[in-house]
Amino acid sequence: METRKLDVRGAKCPIPVVKAKKAIDTMAPGDVLEVTATDPGSMPDFVGWAKTSKLAVLKEQRRDTDETGREVFIHVIERKA
Amino acid sequence: MSETHETLPEVPGVEVGDLLDRLDRGEDLVILDVRNDEEAGAWKLEGRRPVTAVHVPYFDFIEDTEGALAKVPRGRELVALCAQGGSSAMVVDMLREAGVPARNVKGGMVAYGEYLQPVRVAGGTEGERFELWQFNRRGKGCLSYVVLSGAEAVVVDPSRALDRYLEFVRARGARIVQVLDTHIQADHVSGGPALAARAGAPYFVDAGQGFDLKLTVTPLPDGEVIRLDGGAAVQLRLLATPGHTPGSTSYLVGDRHLLTGDTLFVSSVGRPDLGGHVVKWGRALFRTLHERIAALPDDTVVLPAHYSGAAEIGPDGVVAGRLGDLRKSVPEMQIATEDEFVAAVRAAVGKPPDSYAEIIKVNLGAPPPPEEKVTEWELGRNQCAVAAQKAKAAVPGAR
Repeated sequence: METRKLDVRGAKCPIPVVKAKKAIDTMAPGDVLEVTATDPGSMPDFVGWAKTSKLAVLKEQRRDTDETGREVFIHVIERKA
Repeated sequence: MSETHETLPEVPGVEVGDLLDRLDRGEDLVILDVRNDEEAGAWKLEGRRPVTAVHVPYFDFIEDTEGALAKVPRGRELVALCAQGGSSAMVVDMLREAGVPARNVKGGMVAYGEYLQPVRVAGGTEGERFELWQFNRRGKGCLSYVVLSGAEAVVVDPSRALDRYLEFVRARGARIVQVLDTHIQADHVSGGPALAARAGAPYFVDAGQGFDLKLTVTPLPDGEVIRLDGGAAVQLRLLATPGHTPGSTSYLVGDRHLLTGDTLFVSSVGRPDLGGHVVKWGRALFRTLHERIAALPDDTVVLPAHYSGAAEIGPDGVVAGRLGDLRKSVPEMQIATEDEFVAAVRAAVGKPPDSYAEIIKVNLGAPPPPEEKVTEWELGRNQCAVAAQKAKAAVPGAR
């Protein structure tokens, strides 16, 4: 089981979801992807995408502040079997 | 279609203004809304006629391209719409790849929320020596005004799209000599101080008691008359109309057109609850409506600073009401006593506009945050009326 990090700070939709899907497709079941985004719209977008996706389970979403003081949105996604 | 869509494809686009003109004319267009459920449900693009929209989120196109494509209507002109124009560009690219012609709404809902449509209210015909224009911010339901006479112009309640006003006035061979706000706005960041600075013109807003104004304004007293181009053709008379805010000011343009700000709308009145003094401000609003506004003639044309939905746009494209008609049609105008008015208004106000406390601070002179934060604050329709037709749902991650 591996945890991979994906930094999509500064990217606007659809890039965060496009990159997350690409990563999930290559991961093994049980692996975890942690996406860091700055687009607040990524919050409802990841909820919607996980509902549609057959491979992604959204485990957690939280807001945080990065080392530059910028507001970030963190999405924790698990790759399904 | 590119491999990864990590850079967005170049696709044919349509400007928001052109799209609205076509929808208003009743042209047959289908909007393919590719936003997530939450955003698509909370704020829709409105035309003056019913809009046909189909909702298929962009991530459905990523996950199940075939399934998503199957939900797209064929044989009708399609425009794809998202929050900022990026996801819809990707979807347009996928559609065209699949042989379905479609175009992208450039800039998405953010562009819709910023777009200003100038509509002539008065003047321009022989014998009239001034022009009054209403700038309709269609996506948000905010209205600003430009009064032109000879080589001089006054701008009232401008949004942050400063170039639109500057270019409009310049194209008519005039310059801006005064910028006014009817009140400290709570739903959007005013373009007033910045426009005044760009134009080299004085700026005035009356914050009134209860707000700590940090901006430097050039004060104008109640009853003051602003003379444009020597005053031969038109004057603006300042009328203190407290209530929505303690400093709310209306402007009588000539003898017939009243810019009411958020005091009186065409279907409601301004909410007096945004300063935490709903009773005190509500009483002031009642007195303004029943004394100062009541004293004006029935033929006065009420031109507000906000409206609640496309249904309030008249057949001539203007949001306006004849005062004599509004006295009979606006529910809050029917209430006879101050106590009943305050009770009714308190009961009717919905949730406050998103980020209103932060927006008020900036409009009082606090340094504004980065542009993208302001854009985020201003998403969705305004909720400045006591009884707004549509309130934006609480969207935690709204863009």
